Amino acid sequence: MERDIEQLNSALNSIKTLRSNVRRVFESVSNGLRADHGEDGKENKFIHELQELLTTVNNNLRDVESAVGNLTPPPGPFNLGSTAFLGQETTQERQALYGQLVNSYKWTDKVREYSALAGNILQTNSFNKTYKTFSTTKRRKTQTSNHNVSPEVIENLITNIDRLFPDVTITASRPFLPNPVIQACLGRVLKAIIAFKGLMIEWVVVKALSESNDLWAESRYKVFKKVTENCHAAMCHFHSPMMPELAVKSFMHWFHSYNTLFSAPCKRCGNHLLGNLPPTWRDLRTLEPYHEECK
Amino acid sequence: MGVTVLQQFPTENRTGPSTIELLSKRISALGALQQGQFLVDCETFTSCAALGHQRTVHVLHNSEQPATVFSILETGQKTIPLATDGLFDLLMMKMSGFYSSKKQTKAESKGPRYEIGDFCVKLGTVTVSQNFRGVLVEVEYRPCVVPAMCWELMREFLQGFLGSSVPATPPPYLQNRMQELYTPIDTIHQYLEQFTIFRKAPGLRP
Repeated sequence: MERDIEQLNSALNSIKTLRSNVRRVFESVSNGLRADHGEDGKENKFIHELQELLTTVNNNLRDVESAVGNLTPPPGPFNLGSTAFLGQETTQERQALYGQLVNSYKWTDKVREYSALAGNILQTNSFNKTYKTFSTTKRRKTQTSNHNVSPEVIENLITNIDRLFPDVTITASRPFLPNPVIQACLGRVLKAIIAFKGLMIEWVVVKALSESNDLWAESRYKVFKKVTENCHAAMCHFHSPMMPELAVKSFMHWFHSYNTLFSAPCKRCGNHLLGNLPPTWRDLRTLEPYHEECK
Repeated sequence: MGVTVLQQFPTENRTGPSTIELLSKRISALGALQQGQFLVDCETFTSCAALGHQRTVHVLHNSEQPATVFSILETGQKTIPLATDGLFDLLMMKMSGFYSSKKQTKAESKGPRYEIGDFCVKLGTVTVSQNFRGVLVEVEYRPCVVPAMCWELMREFLQGFLGSSVPATPPPYLQNRMQELYTPIDTIHQYLEQFTIFRKAPGLRP
């Protein structure tokens, strides 16, 4: 296959040379006698030049013939599969379909190539929201254990968390069975409205204690807007589809560290305020307070 | 409604307007935007002799809670705060036979109101019966409701634009209530505390 393509390339190249040299012959003939042929014996010089050019053309022609002779003829007519039927289309506006088909084939080929590359790069990134495995039996198992759990399991999880932190009071409501929405009040500092999807945290909004429990409206205070953003980051960080209970617990553990939101100074700069905001970031492992700019 | 700290700013031979202007410049330089004006006033009534033991009622209004009249009754042993509708003013007028107002003690603090981040800053010129007495700076940190949690943070903010005149301890009224939930009546108590100091102090030049 590789050799065939090489030979085809060399044959095409020799045809190209032949064409350009034939063009030179016609150019020279159409120009006729030129000033650079001089005065003495100009006809002879012209004929000589023409002969030289024709010799080159002859040589090129021989090259082409030998290159073509080297080519192996295809074993039979190309098998286009079902696409061959497109050529039999008689309606005017559908005759261009074959070209479009080839184009789209090229596109899908490119998409395949790029997605394979992207897949390789993304595999090294651990922030996966969905768990992907190539073993179908395994996938089915994890999906049932995540999204489609019985309400009692979630209920147990919530009561466990409630017991784990004495200063977090949790009230749960179930607007969409079986997925609960819980309000977690952290001491007298803030409250978070957390929506679950099965055993996974789907959405978090942090607000002041006096604000409404609406899941979709953000807080009117800058500090709680910032904390909401950070909670989203932590939610993705702790997310683990294989161990959803652990993910929720570590998230709540991290979230619990916000009980010092207003009272703890930044670990890095030692100040309370930076840009009129207290340290709104908590380190994911050490739970130490940092400003957005100091972390 | 968040935790509010009220403190005096020494005028140090400056006039009232120039002090306010100085503070306005500083807070604007930090990025604060002016959001209108504010006014807190206080009128004091004393019971007439016929009612026996003398009682004092302070009636205060705060432009932050425009539909509410705050009143604080001092009986000598107890202090009873009360938050009521605007009609309370008319009630006091009806009771003028029993409670008479001391006109020369009407105190008020008014001036520009600024917002910066989650903070609300009010620079008030204090007058007692139309005479200039000093400058009060009110800083409110709105997301927080427990004074003990955010006092250090607020002190840092106050130091940011008032400099060294910020005391190391919270206002005396707040010191006993650091762990309690902060409510608007606590702001009123702080204003009354400051107004009482201004009323006793000798008059300053305007």
